[in-house]
Amino acid sequence: MPLTILLIDSDDSRARALEEKLSESGFAQVTRAQDPDLAAAVERARPDLVIIDMALPDRDALEDIRIVSAASPVVMFAGTDDPAFAREAIAAGVCSYNLSGVALQDLRPIMASAIALFQRYRHVETELAAAKALLEERRLIERAKAILMQGRKMTEPEAYRWLQKKAMNESRKLAQIVAEFVAEQEAVQRESKP
Amino acid sequence: MSEVVALKSRRSGPKLRIGFLRLTDSAPAILAQEFGYFAEEGVDAELLEEPSWANIADKLAYGFLDAAVIVPPLAFAIELGLRGVSQKLIIPCNISLGGNTVTLSRQLAAQVRDLASRDGLSLPRALAACLAGRDAPLPLGIVHAYSTHNLLLRYWLATGGLEAGRDVRLSVVPPAHAALALQSGQIAGFCVGAPWGEIAARAGAGATIATSDDIWRNAPEKAFAVRARWAEENPEGLKGAVRALARAAQFCDAPENASYTGALLSRQKYLGVDSHAILSSLPGGAIHQDNLSCFWHCAATFPWRSHALWFLRQMARWDLIGGEVELGALAARVYRTDLYRAAVAPLGISVPLADSKTEGAHDTEWQLDAAPTPISMGPDRFCDRAVFDTARAPAAFLGRRALHALKDQKGPGQQNPKIGAQGPHGSGEGLIGMQPGAGHPRGR
Repeated sequence: MPLTILLIDSDDSRARALEEKLSESGFAQVTRAQDPDLAAAVERARPDLVIIDMALPDRDALEDIRIVSAASPVVMFAGTDDPAFAREAIAAGVCSYNLSGVALQDLRPIMASAIALFQRYRHVETELAAAKALLEERRLIERAKAILMQGRKMTEPEAYRWLQKKAMNESRKLAQIVAEFVAEQEAVQRESKP
Repeated sequence: MSEVVALKSRRSGPKLRIGFLRLTDSAPAILAQEFGYFAEEGVDAELLEEPSWANIADKLAYGFLDAAVIVPPLAFAIELGLRGVSQKLIIPCNISLGGNTVTLSRQLAAQVRDLASRDGLSLPRALAACLAGRDAPLPLGIVHAYSTHNLLLRYWLATGGLEAGRDVRLSVVPPAHAALALQSGQIAGFCVGAPWGEIAARAGAGATIATSDDIWRNAPEKAFAVRARWAEENPEGLKGAVRALARAAQFCDAPENASYTGALLSRQKYLGVDSHAILSSLPGGAIHQDNLSCFWHCAATFPWRSHALWFLRQMARWDLIGGEVELGALAARVYRTDLYRAAVAPLGISVPLADSKTEGAHDTEWQLDAAPTPISMGPDRFCDRAVFDTARAPAAFLGRRALHALKDQKGPGQQNPKIGAQGPHGSGEGLIGMQPGAGHPRGR
């Protein structure tokens, strides 16, 4: 009989990909949970295994699913002598809970698939995050320049040089300096308004 | 502010990866990093925001984190291997006191308050009366089974004769989802750490009915836990980290710094929430404050062994740890007052002389024996006026003191309202080290 798996993932396309992969293999039947009440979702699905994205705060809710399974759920690979496999999973950002006491060798290929997929997506995410950070930095520089130009009557090049100089004097990155400067100025503005 | 922000860019020393959650009491760790205190004290710290306590636990267990700002019961659970793989931890300093709120749906909160003032009842007792005749237990949210929130909420409820599993059903709801879960009716209330209670109240999702202080004045909240192995390998680094946190705690507790701390914490990479919600529980952060985190005053950074023992006894009380665990030895192994004293010696601050204190004996401010000068302490009263005296508690304390002889008692509400209020303090066993103001020791 195939194992039943409940998959909880913040990333829709990754979840679909994993669902497809595991279902194709034939040894797993996958359901995806979207219910905000995870305990209820687990109770309905009564899976052997829960696979969850470690970026979700919902993991804490899963820690407490004793209400469904008589025994406490087994986190990761506790009680086995394979910490390396668990480390690989954590590094990829995925975690599993064994609810029905299935033998580890039966779970291994399933988790290996999940780990591989999470690793691939993580790579894409990192690139995306870098692009976003760059955009945010540009936005903050513009904002900081605007504050200086308005508040201290600087020209644009003057404002930019002022920020650069501040970064150099404090030997920190320009991104850090502008983020702090904008946050401080905005806090001051908020406070000065009743 | 510039003189504080100026960084000495010393980037040597051992790498220390510190995990934290999006909570107001992560403030000292965040400030120590942003102000370069860790670097100045010779620690190359890296702060890692984690979305769940489960992540903190797993990452400590598998060595992805060296340290964390943590709820102490979870540190004990990790140390004992109660969830997942075990990892030896030490707590060389405490991080904060207070800061939690108990929030109920607005309707229930109003009902409880009205009844309490009409009949002169305590709030937990009024809640019990409101729940009389309910078929199903009241669903309440907590943040983790091994959290201070679980223990404080259970303690508070117990003073009203309410017990989890029978009168209320506790389930875990991530703090950021608590407001939504309350609005959808999944839960009728919750106990969470700042700023999430304030955020829920601002969203109109519920009303705060009690705070940490209403349950236990100046209750210990977060602690700094470090992998024992890291601490052994980096003795100087550990001392430096404790000093950096103690210095940051002083900054966080100074009212004039509140707006700065609030703005810093509200940044996307830290809490990512409205700074006003954060300010409401920062010392000096708002005009009207009924839920305050304390970071420095009242010896807040000292890792009191009596705090450790209180947590452990409560964990045993609710069957979260087994009866075979030697609580005194465990408390002494994890709560390292010796390391705290050694670490802060160069700072020249006053340090408590004792490792434990009597908890719950003070209604007003008092002076704590400390060197070189005494420390002014705040009240430490429990809501049931119990006194927790570790000195009078033998190590063999069994720990179990559930509310009622469960099945034989009538449910709340139908009962004689006196039950539990001044209930017989009977059989000595449950009294050891703890003078219960409510409830009966379970017959054993």
